Amino acid sequence: MSGYLAYLAKRLGQFVLVVFIGVNLAYVVTHATPIDPVEQSISAATSFGNTAPEAIEQMRQSLKELYGLGGSWSQQYLTFWSRILRADFGPSLSAFPTPVSALIGRALPWTMGLLIVSTVVTWALGNLLGGLAGYYQRNRALKLMGVVAMGLHPIPYYIVALVLLIVFGFVWPVLPINGGSAMNLPQGWTWAYASSVLLHSILPALSLILIGVGSWFLGMRSLVSNIVTEDYVQFAELGGVNRERILGSYVMRNALGPQVTGLAMSLGGIFNGAIITEKVFGYPGVGTLLVDAVYAGDYGLVLGVTTISILGVSIGVLAIDLLYPLLDPRVQVR
Amino acid sequence: MSRTPRAWLLAACVFAPSLFGLSSPGYTQGIPQNIPRNETLILENPEGTIKNAGWFNIWAINAGSQSNGLQQVALDTLWYIDPESGIDGVWDNSLASDKPAYNADFTEMTVKLRKGIYWSDGVEFTAADVVGTVDTQIKNPGMRFSAVLANNVASMETPDDYTVVFKLKKPNSRFHTNFTVRWGAIWILPKHIFEKVADPLKFDFNKPVSLGAYVLHSYDPDGKWYIWQLRDDWQRTTLARFGKPGPKYLAYVDPGPPDKRVIAQLNHELDVVHDIAPEGMFTLAKQGKSTISWFKGFPYGHPDPTLPALIFNTQNENFKNKDVRWALALLIDIKSVVMAAYRGAATISAIGVPPTGKHVQAYHEPMEAWLKDFELDTGKQKFKPYDPGVGQQIAAMLRPSLGDQIPKDPKEVEKAFGMGWWKKNPQAAQELLERAGYKKVGGQWHTPDGKPFTIRVMVEGDLRPVMTRAGSMIAQEWKQAGIDAKIDVAQGTLLTRRGAGDFDTFIGWSVETWGGHQDLSYFMDSWHSQFVAEPGKPQPLRNWQRWSNPELDKIIEKTRTIDFDDPKAIELGKDYVKLAVREMPTIPLMAYNVFTAMDQTYWTGYPTAANPYTNPVPNWGNSRYMFVKLKPTGK
Repeated sequence: MSGYLAYLAKRLGQFVLVVFIGVNLAYVVTHATPIDPVEQSISAATSFGNTAPEAIEQMRQSLKELYGLGGSWSQQYLTFWSRILRADFGPSLSAFPTPVSALIGRALPWTMGLLIVSTVVTWALGNLLGGLAGYYQRNRALKLMGVVAMGLHPIPYYIVALVLLIVFGFVWPVLPINGGSAMNLPQGWTWAYASSVLLHSILPALSLILIGVGSWFLGMRSLVSNIVTEDYVQFAELGGVNRERILGSYVMRNALGPQVTGLAMSLGGIFNGAIITEKVFGYPGVGTLLVDAVYAGDYGLVLGVTTISILGVSIGVLAIDLLYPLLDPRVQVR
Repeated sequence: MSRTPRAWLLAACVFAPSLFGLSSPGYTQGIPQNIPRNETLILENPEGTIKNAGWFNIWAINAGSQSNGLQQVALDTLWYIDPESGIDGVWDNSLASDKPAYNADFTEMTVKLRKGIYWSDGVEFTAADVVGTVDTQIKNPGMRFSAVLANNVASMETPDDYTVVFKLKKPNSRFHTNFTVRWGAIWILPKHIFEKVADPLKFDFNKPVSLGAYVLHSYDPDGKWYIWQLRDDWQRTTLARFGKPGPKYLAYVDPGPPDKRVIAQLNHELDVVHDIAPEGMFTLAKQGKSTISWFKGFPYGHPDPTLPALIFNTQNENFKNKDVRWALALLIDIKSVVMAAYRGAATISAIGVPPTGKHVQAYHEPMEAWLKDFELDTGKQKFKPYDPGVGQQIAAMLRPSLGDQIPKDPKEVEKAFGMGWWKKNPQAAQELLERAGYKKVGGQWHTPDGKPFTIRVMVEGDLRPVMTRAGSMIAQEWKQAGIDAKIDVAQGTLLTRRGAGDFDTFIGWSVETWGGHQDLSYFMDSWHSQFVAEPGKPQPLRNWQRWSNPELDKIIEKTRTIDFDDPKAIELGKDYVKLAVREMPTIPLMAYNVFTAMDQTYWTGYPTAANPYTNPVPNWGNSRYMFVKLKPTGK
């Protein structure tokens, strides 16, 4: 056990280092961008309507003060870290003075809801069907599924999304194609709202599942195809063990290891959002927030989203690293 | 088949339809629930999804949405100028009961206010609100018009509840334009609300108190939609002078990318599309039986009083010489640009004034004779570069494919496609470049100091596809002429680079006008040399070309000393047009055509070129006049 504790301490140290480097990189990249948030704000504010030119310089100075962009680089850097440690990303510069945390807090549940569900469903469906296809290799329906999965997999995501949009939004308009819920429906724990959210998530989720299921399917099928030739599987079959039991307990279970790692990585990555999905289906989420923030030079918001994303991926990897020695006896901690 | 896969397939077959079963054939995708569709007008808010949806303090800079209905129907100000002919003339005294009255030297402006106008919380609108609007912004320097007001207003007096006298710090014959809506303006804030707020910069003004005819009904915390409801006491608002607004509810929504806007309108779930790509407009015109647009047929779009142009950075050594600028203009075939950008659906302009609203009568038509006679001297030849028939030629090019959609009456063609433009003349361009010291070596132009003549044409990319296509075509034409022209896709950095002067040329606009009023000071004043920044320093709007000229300064200075409505302003405007033609600081291209598509399934009475009582483009503050003209179809 002491070996495991040492391993735990070492991995935690690595985790902190990875997060520190990742956040610093994000800080440098966002501050090196040629987009000046003050100029973006002034341009956006004055693009419509009339503003006398002599007022612009005063506006520029006021915004610099307001946005806290004064001070040296080192002062700004220290302020940034002191805020991060307090889980405070400061105000959004493109939606001043609303805090970045409030904007992310509103968008994140949508992203998590959609992506966790679609990632888990994709993973479960892909692995289940892939496992079956790998084990029941002569089954025609499963063979056909393999063809479909391989056919769908290389299609660019936006094509699939647009096809779904046109089919279910225009040709056979039975599903909503925009937003996270119906307009003018109060948010709350009501059946009307919940069913509306569910309904609005079908097309975005379906698009992600259709595109994502192929890679899990193919991966699992090839893993299972290898495992079925192992001695212990052959022995079980010769011993008359029930085929469903062999598939569930002997084959799939052993094939799941790398797939679980993949799942953890995928789940860690959801904090980036699904930008194209959000854009195509008008679905709320952090992806759109991130893109808009980049265009607006709102580096507070960009840093907020990227920091959460860095944490998500790092925690996902950490969790897998910590759980693996406990789950799989073949993995030993030295 | 084994039982396991069979069971899963069965489960999938049962589960999938049950998801669809949550909806029904009657389920509509994008209309508000719980309010009658036939009492609701659904409009696009082009700002898209609003990050901080619950922010309604429009006096803070960029903190929340402006065109989510807030400026169109909830707020009001002293005057409006319509970009078209107006519901009762172009000028509308809104909260003011009369036009602004200046003293002789324009250092004092007196405003008489309308009586009987109330905020939606029952408080009467008075002079105190106007004073509060100015005071609050001056006292809090980070607000939208703080600097403008602080620079102009010395003090204010309110002799009574319905009179405000502004004492100005310096003469300003156009001070009232700050309170005159052209898209937006300084909106009047409720003093009785803001005086209780400790920090107006951090006040969200949620729920907003309205001075306009509608109040906030509900909004999406995720920023996708806003619904406004007609006030019970709508008669106590300024819009009531023109009758009762037709729609009881207005829904401003983010319908998503252009394809989805087309689908939404074909499904009758989006009554007013703000703008789409020309191809989307063509689809709607063909498939949307109930869709109408500004023009009955081609080119459909509403020409905004904005003038997209090829803008030179005149501080760049290559573009300091007007011969070079003119040479580059003469290398452009405007017909190719129009076809590339708008698929032909554009209204061209050779002069630096948008070909829309009152300007055609005030400038384009009267200047036609001068343009036809205008001569350019290359040193080797004198010639007349203006071709008055380009608009007609564009119409003729489109007629074989679009048939009856293209008007036949030459006057109608002029209105839709514009009048003339510059003839492409590579020989004259060569002579002008040679006179400027440029040399063509091996088919490629070189600058006077022997370097390849390279031009970057900055465009915004897929954020503004029409302008990007125009820029690509111009770069291609220059390249064919032997100039190393490249497209420079700036995407989100365009605004920063435009202000910083980090470009050779770009497709954008530095000319915007009232549209409905002949005065050009809206953009022209900002072109005075006093505002031109040194190279490397940020340029304030709108003289992005950083061009200065003593003759222009004189025109601007004279304009500043005359009244807004003085007919002399037109003569000064014509002087500017002539100077800009001679100097070519920008190459004017065409009006900014906005493809606003209106669905007549539930509502009729939209403004069109045949009935131009206002601008239909729904993010304009002026679009409020549309609501009193809309009638339900009874569906």
